[in-house]
Amino acid sequence: MPGDHRRIRGPEESQPPSLYALRSGPDNDGGDDDDGEGRAAGPRDPSRLRPVYARAGLLSQAKGSAYLEAGSTKVLCAVSGPRPVEGERAGAAAGSAGGRLLCDFRRAPFSGPRRRRPAGAAGGGGGGAEERELALAMQEALEPAVRLGRYPRAQLEVSALLLEDGGSALAAALTAAALALADAGVEMYDLVVGCALSRGPGPDAAWQLDPTRREEERAAAGLTVALMPVLNQVAGLLGSGEASATESWADAVRLGLEGCQRLYPVLQQCLLKAVRRRGGASPETAAAAAPALAAAADADGESPAAAPVAAEPVA
Amino acid sequence: MASVALSEAEKVYIVHGVQEDLRVDGRGCEDYRCAEVETDVVSNTSGSARVKLGHTDILVGVKAEMGTPKLERPDEGYLEFFVDCSANATPEFEGRGGDDLGTEIANALYRIFNNRGSIDLTSLCISPREHCWILYVDVLLLECGGNLFDAISIAVKAALFNTSIPKVRVLEDEEGSKDIELSDDPYDCIRLNVENVPCIITLSKIGYRHVVDATLQEEACSLASLLVSVTSKGVLTCLRKVGKGSLDPESIFEMMETGKRVGKVLHASLQTILQKEENLGPKRQKVGFLG
Repeated sequence: MPGDHRRIRGPEESQPPSLYALRSGPDNDGGDDDDGEGRAAGPRDPSRLRPVYARAGLLSQAKGSAYLEAGSTKVLCAVSGPRPVEGERAGAAAGSAGGRLLCDFRRAPFSGPRRRRPAGAAGGGGGGAEERELALAMQEALEPAVRLGRYPRAQLEVSALLLEDGGSALAAALTAAALALADAGVEMYDLVVGCALSRGPGPDAAWQLDPTRREEERAAAGLTVALMPVLNQVAGLLGSGEASATESWADAVRLGLEGCQRLYPVLQQCLLKAVRRRGGASPETAAAAAPALAAAADADGESPAAAPVAAEPVA
Repeated sequence: MASVALSEAEKVYIVHGVQEDLRVDGRGCEDYRCAEVETDVVSNTSGSARVKLGHTDILVGVKAEMGTPKLERPDEGYLEFFVDCSANATPEFEGRGGDDLGTEIANALYRIFNNRGSIDLTSLCISPREHCWILYVDVLLLECGGNLFDAISIAVKAALFNTSIPKVRVLEDEEGSKDIELSDDPYDCIRLNVENVPCIITLSKIGYRHVVDATLQEEACSLASLLVSVTSKGVLTCLRKVGKGSLDPESIFEMMETGKRVGKVLHASLQTILQKEENLGPKRQKVGFLG
């Protein structure tokens, strides 16, 4: 075939060079995300949590919904159901006593620096497997908290959409999902609070709470813990990374659990606000959702500044 | 996941037994079932292994194919995992029924191998940016008898130990064009160093205690389990909670310790068995599937 001289014959695939520049370059280019964390000189406080903003009950069509922002990580979560199990799974569900919890985790195509091919698009792309893994992790972390026994032959659907990935995505999605479930009035034993940690490369690097995306990219190991704060039970645990001693992992889990406890008051306040807001519209719904939160309200009244790290900017 | 239906009385029996450190099949809480490992069972593969752990039967084949390295890691090869849950194992897996479990296990394998320390991927590189070996690790579930993760990770490690990749050289002529030359000697192979490949240890919480290597019946009694991957030096590389239940923080720390202890022993015995089999050489009598 004769070559076309007017056409520039480039490679079939191309990648924007900025992706590689970011990776190898120094930290001075990190102003665009992570609250300017990239510029921060010196080691940061390992137990700092980024400011959290949470709001429940913002989607009108969903049974329950929540939006959570931690630093630049933004997650939107919706719950629908309980509805009867449909399709071929009905038989399997009838065999077990309780209902089913279905979780879905999606990253928006524009959530990261590189565009991700959406899972539904032709060709699939590599993102699908990772999303499924995170969805499964969400399901396993939420199942202990939801009283599935009260929803026989029914299924609850939780879908989390990651709008922007600024690190600790799974933890944020977990927290948002728990808020959305509570907002939907689903019977639960406790809320689930997620917290992520990462450990930088090097033998004596320490674990850091709530890593930004930049820290996650550099990290040699990462861990996400999910805690049910009142029961003090670990609902979920997912972590991997370069080999480190058992004690190091144990420390990480402890640090993570502590972080979860610190986040809990913020979520309580968020739910309370949602109930009050809804209470104005329809008192019955508020009453239905209120009992679980009554205790929260008391604790809250005594210590309005219960959240030392997390500020809620919007009244 | 494949499961059995147990009555309440049966469950109580198992839970009480575990409390006394005596399980239904006579093991203690930290004992593995007797495992059978045989490598080089399938001739069409670069490396293969079959592991029988109680009634769990796993066949792993590794095939090496040439491909282009990933853009982010231009001087490394990579591994691809696929887990096939065939309907032979459980009727539940018929059709697409086993897909979820298959991807779950494959993801767990990706997670433990996506780690600089576990295997030396630079040895799989032929010429940076252009050619590398891709190892396709295909796992077949022949029979499900509980504790799939552990059995699969043992089988994968054995199969990688057994893998031999033909040696190739890159020749460059004056004009800069490259040629790949395969060695004439079929025994001139690269072997992988699997010393740091971790094994998965599943610790199932039953009552107030935890057990390793749970059978299907014991898995039915356990609400939550902790999956840890441990290397031969006893360091943890991966941590995951599975199951519907939740765990007490203190029990997690205990389980990690147990996992570390059990993992070290498991690695040591697996390594000796593999070495012994290797030393028998090509004249070894193969047992295969008739054993």
